[in-house]
Amino acid sequence: MRKTKINRRTVLRGLGGAVVALPLLDCMLNEHGTAFAQSTSALPKRYAIVFAGQALGGDDYAHDQQKVNGTNLTQAGHYIVPPQSGAGYDITTPLRPLAKLQNDFTLVSGMRIPYSLTSADPADVPPGGAFRDFHGGGASPLLSGMRSVTSNFTARGITSDQVIANLNQGQTALPSIVLRAQPSFYLSGYSFAGRHRMSFAGDNDPIEAQDSPATAYQSIFGNFMPSDAAARAAFDFNQRARRSVLDLITSKRKRVLDSVGAADRARLQRHFDEIRDLETRISQMPMSGGACARPADPGVDPGIGGDNAGSGSDVIATSTGYSGEHERARVMADLIHMAFVCDLTRAATLQITTFQSHMNVFPLASYLDSPVALSREIRADLHEVGHNGDAEFRGQLPVSLMLQWHLSHYAYLIDKLKSTSEGAGTLLDSSALVFMPEAGHGRHLNSPSDTAPRTHSVEDMVLLVAGSAGGLKPGKHVATSGAHPAQCLLSAMQGAGFAGDTLGEVTGSLPELFG
Amino acid sequence: MLSALGCSTGHVGDPKTGLSAGRRGGGSGDGAELGADGGAVVDGGAQSGPYVGSASAARRLSRAELDNTLSDLLGDDTAPASRLLAEDLFAPYDNDYPTQRASGALIDSLETLAANVAPRIAHDKTLRKKLVSCTPSSASDASCFSMVVQDFTRRAFRRPVTKTETDAYMSLLAFATESNDFYTGVELLIRSVLQDPEFLYRIERGTKTSDAQLFDLNDHELAVRLSYLLWGSTPDAALDADADAGHLHDAGMRVAIAKRMLEDPRARTQLHRFHAMWLGYRAIPQTPALAAAFSRETSALIDRVVFDEPQDYLNVFTFDQTYLDDTLADHYGLPRPSGGKGWVSYGKSGRAGILSQGAVLSAFGKFSDTSPTQRGIFVRTRLLCEQLMPPPPNVMADKPPAGSGNAVCKYDRYAEHRSNASCAGCHSLTDGIGFGLENYGLAGVYRTHDDGHPECTIAGKGEILGVGTFSGPAELGKLLVDQNLVQACIVQQFLRFAIGRAPEGNELDALSALSDDFGAAKHELAKLILSYIESDAFARRLEPK
Repeated sequence: MRKTKINRRTVLRGLGGAVVALPLLDCMLNEHGTAFAQSTSALPKRYAIVFAGQALGGDDYAHDQQKVNGTNLTQAGHYIVPPQSGAGYDITTPLRPLAKLQNDFTLVSGMRIPYSLTSADPADVPPGGAFRDFHGGGASPLLSGMRSVTSNFTARGITSDQVIANLNQGQTALPSIVLRAQPSFYLSGYSFAGRHRMSFAGDNDPIEAQDSPATAYQSIFGNFMPSDAAARAAFDFNQRARRSVLDLITSKRKRVLDSVGAADRARLQRHFDEIRDLETRISQMPMSGGACARPADPGVDPGIGGDNAGSGSDVIATSTGYSGEHERARVMADLIHMAFVCDLTRAATLQITTFQSHMNVFPLASYLDSPVALSREIRADLHEVGHNGDAEFRGQLPVSLMLQWHLSHYAYLIDKLKSTSEGAGTLLDSSALVFMPEAGHGRHLNSPSDTAPRTHSVEDMVLLVAGSAGGLKPGKHVATSGAHPAQCLLSAMQGAGFAGDTLGEVTGSLPELFG
Repeated sequence: MLSALGCSTGHVGDPKTGLSAGRRGGGSGDGAELGADGGAVVDGGAQSGPYVGSASAARRLSRAELDNTLSDLLGDDTAPASRLLAEDLFAPYDNDYPTQRASGALIDSLETLAANVAPRIAHDKTLRKKLVSCTPSSASDASCFSMVVQDFTRRAFRRPVTKTETDAYMSLLAFATESNDFYTGVELLIRSVLQDPEFLYRIERGTKTSDAQLFDLNDHELAVRLSYLLWGSTPDAALDADADAGHLHDAGMRVAIAKRMLEDPRARTQLHRFHAMWLGYRAIPQTPALAAAFSRETSALIDRVVFDEPQDYLNVFTFDQTYLDDTLADHYGLPRPSGGKGWVSYGKSGRAGILSQGAVLSAFGKFSDTSPTQRGIFVRTRLLCEQLMPPPPNVMADKPPAGSGNAVCKYDRYAEHRSNASCAGCHSLTDGIGFGLENYGLAGVYRTHDDGHPECTIAGKGEILGVGTFSGPAELGKLLVDQNLVQACIVQQFLRFAIGRAPEGNELDALSALSDDFGAAKHELAKLILSYIESDAFARRLEPK
């Protein structure tokens, strides 16, 4: 390996003197490729969450029950959780995209968010628990380990990705990357109202996701210097121009803020702060060394689909309610992968679909790998798939196929990280990647006395954790008996370097993930 | 299984009474099912007492307002904001500023937007004429660039600019010199201004009055209030000239100017937008072609009642004609208009007014069908401005009610809403209204029985509890008007749209006065708008303690 004297602590002076951390270059590594050359500190650890806005099963259908092609079918193997625990379990339908990566992730099942069986009073929500209204009530404990006390979609404390971002404060150019593939709510007459947020710096303090692949590309990789000279001149010109353009704005900050009333000042100050942050990030990052390279320009974003025409099988249209989420998620996974390769950030979230997602699933037909031949596309929006929205396709299999589609993006990201060498191993060796579905499948949170299995449940929840950062030992199915999902997050966070053992109101990681 | 709209009757005002503390939920019906937005509320709030002005906080232009502004300011008709910025959170209006929050993602997206728009304008010989009236003698022609800067920043910031301010932009000329292209300087000027909070937000300062909390807005700030209220866009040259001449702080002249602005086609578009958000049909679950046809039909009614034949606005609920083309006439089963498109009489079809139209009937469906509950919520929250509490947490509202036994027909499936006392408290307020519209399907087509169930004859009998019974949209519209149920709510919805959040404190007290004016003006909507514009409250802002 080529060795030059660049210290990891070297920082880049931006044009205005701002300091920016360098991307990770091979030349910064030691002889063995296991640590930084100058400091002998360990390689950076990365943490990501890939989120799916759906449950694990359909309303009123047992895990071996489904209606397929209009006919009821009893058949096991479609529910995500296999009957065996430990290594070498059967690959279930949702896990098919991960079949070749079975040794690279752990499936953690049997988790639940606590709640009161006897009271729907907010005062009776237990620590780390869920307010008894599924839509909204499940979000905060899942994301932050903090109990919810209303049905608002929010987190009442810092989320796991931001804990990792804080851990690496100042070490990378970007503290975290927060992306969302689903850009529109699609439900006529309504808007997201918080369903589109999953990253929080603190109590009800959301980090807004970027939903444009093109803008995400520019904001993450726009500071990388092109290699050829002609392009370099244009790049240099544009970077100076960007800074001058923003300078004209930031230079009037005080004058504007001093001239307005208190309410305006609070709002505008926030805006000016964010502009200053953007300006600080403008720099000229070298791009040499190993796998770190500017990814392909994703080009213009796929168009935004209109609101769904109907939500169920007889009326859903083929063309609305979908904005190319498949392509968007792919690009976003590419961006996260390369941001990790270049060590531009160590914390990322990819919300493929939002909480209570009304994305039309019709256009996903060609991406599904169904063990049972389907006579036609599944016609419903994602939320209604769980609620039996398609008269011909109901129960476990259709829900599992949607989960499989989400997992295909997770598998894609794992595979890319595994295919990228870093030092003596691969990037996956220093990653902890969580896959997080919105819900489990079991007792209805709103109405737990009703015991038929429901989508709106925080029982029997599942998370996946891929990678072997920090001693994580992937390659098995860990069946817990009611662990809190935040305990699983804690394990992944510890793999990514978190020294604590508490997230929100939940304490104690799961030792099985390391054993 | 319960499928409930939960609420406590204590939270719902008596529909017969006027405005009261219990009816302060104008337009917040979205919260009834989907929960309130988690965004931070920034505003300090209005106060009780006489309505002398509204507290405000810098309002960021919504995507639609930004696109309108870019079109008027730069001639960019590609709607870049709708393509490049994240969706606005409608509550139910897109300009609800407490839902807005600056974020890193927004700032990145705005840089993308500016970088997208600026070169398309600056390097297009035709489009840039709006900005560049001089002919640059060289790439670094300072006097020409200075003219461009002065003119553009004046228009973009919607206020006079100082020499110190405009001089700052002269630094960009260095980039024009370096690239040997004058228009590179113009491009960077646009890029900077489009990312500037003074462009992106409506910032109001005003002059302090003898009351320390009360500020008189200056003429340019009033021009901006007028143009974004009436046009959803930036002031034009005539309005700028009025502001420069100091006409706008005079209430009488302000009204005359507003009348002129209402003549502009943008006023119609803006009022269509207001109705689409208010009545929930801005995005309906229909094919684009049908949705567009519905929108044309409803817009034609609004135009006729408000602009073309100004009359009692309440007639929109009882109007006996509708504007159709042959396709839409066939869709409804109404007579075709002569000449392929035009006004058609409803006759004895049972239809009349806006509640008969496909746009409104398509909104507030659920489970791919009409929802008597949702339609009741629509009437209660959007037309009567009542606030309904969300369902209690122990019921699930995400599946159609199944009813007991083998109930098939919808009316039977909704039986528990009536028979179970804990449901009926609220559902009696909503379902009764919705079942009176059940003969009108999700696409507004008349039906005699439940979709797919010929055995389920629809009775179509409805009731507004405590007010009266009706059958079908014509009778519902007539009931709402005859019983004077909607007058105050229309005023409340308008004020909410105007101030960018739910009215509160002294603004609620003002509603009754505005509502009286509305009644005295025989409910002419333009007169309501003008009387609001004429008021002192429109011309001031309140700085909360």
